Amino acid sequence: MNIYINGTGCISPQETAQGGPLLATPREYEQVRLSTVDPDYKQWIDVKQIRRMSRVVKMGVGAANLSLEAAGVTTPDAIITGTAYGCLDDTGVFLTKMVNQQEEMLTPTAFIQSTHNTVAGQIALLLSCNGYNNTFVHRGFSFENALQDAIMILKEGSAKHILAGGVDEITNYSHALLSRFGLYKKAPVKTMEVLNSPSTGTIAGEGAAFFTLGITKDPGTVAELTGVSTLYKPLWEGEVIGHIMKFLEEHYCTPADIDLIVTGRNGDIDQDEIYEEVAAALFPDHAEACFKHLCGEYPTAAGFGVWMANGIIAEQAVPEAAEFYGKAPKKINKVLVYNHHQGTHHSLVLLTAC
Amino acid sequence: MADLKAQIIEQLNLQEITPESIGDDQVLFSKEGLGLDSIDALELIVLLQQHYNIRIANPEEGPKIFQSVRTMAAYITAQQTVKA
Repeated sequence: MNIYINGTGCISPQETAQGGPLLATPREYEQVRLSTVDPDYKQWIDVKQIRRMSRVVKMGVGAANLSLEAAGVTTPDAIITGTAYGCLDDTGVFLTKMVNQQEEMLTPTAFIQSTHNTVAGQIALLLSCNGYNNTFVHRGFSFENALQDAIMILKEGSAKHILAGGVDEITNYSHALLSRFGLYKKAPVKTMEVLNSPSTGTIAGEGAAFFTLGITKDPGTVAELTGVSTLYKPLWEGEVIGHIMKFLEEHYCTPADIDLIVTGRNGDIDQDEIYEEVAAALFPDHAEACFKHLCGEYPTAAGFGVWMANGIIAEQAVPEAAEFYGKAPKKINKVLVYNHHQGTHHSLVLLTAC
Repeated sequence: MADLKAQIIEQLNLQEITPESIGDDQVLFSKEGLGLDSIDALELIVLLQQHYNIRIANPEEGPKIFQSVRTMAAYITAQQTVKA
């Protein structure tokens, strides 16, 4: 059974919510923290409801609506999200009030909105969707496991259309804490130059990417979600290379069948080394596109990568802003998205043109 | 009452609403009025505690107290008079 991507929606530090050619006018930043370019959320959410929603909820609802609109689906059979950080902003608000007010007179809104499944819940409430609703909080595998769950449900035949996606936000608190771990560059860098940066650390990002998946393809469908796989804490690069070979074999293809690899390079020389090794071993002559200089690094950033890969198949061209190595062939049939988060969470998503 | 309206707007994060646009007798909890809901009721109870140190002893009084900004203001004034 084939699983098709019938609609996509993305809200990111790029103008991805506006439609039009893929990343035609990329926004270039010179900073270590990228924030989303927010559309007018009132087009999807009533003013009375929007007042309780933090940014991550709004971006999740927005991307979900974009995806459903693109697929022509009003109510999916299931809603599955992946988020590592959840609703950080409201969690911070609630905890701050708890401390400042000595655990008394706490207001309900921030508490209600601070759970990880708030995004999936709000999407369901707005769509009046009473179907399966689940949220995966698996750090760098949150998005991938949401996709895996959707694939399994579709294959067992209990749903026809599933909305699946990943969403994460960065807040002042979380950015300050994560900066202490040395995850980000010490000084601002131009985002279009970050991938060639000779230092450790990357740029922080955030965003939401949603996909309306189905077992039948629509006239506007361009890609099939052929497979998803994850690998946790590989001991060495050979394990990753072996895992990719096995993954491709399971989907009846070899590295030679891949027309384009989309990697999660983020400009951290230590973390990007594995991409070099994998490319040298399996894809030495392949064109490579990248996405984290456009959306920043966050645990569900692979969602942006898959969104971009789907767009590349739709346009049969790699946007200039995403080109990293070589030129993609004229016919882009199979795209492999290989991403890792902090060297521990490695994932593969294979898309095939249809 | 203008101060109370401003506090309500801030506590409930009412967007695109100004103190001037809320009528003194406008019903708070109805679609025809301000359209507040049960979560807002909890927020208003906290508002009374935080800003006026008033705890509502009898929950059944809630609908009367929170009928409008005028009824809220009257309740606050009455409670402050009792305390004085």
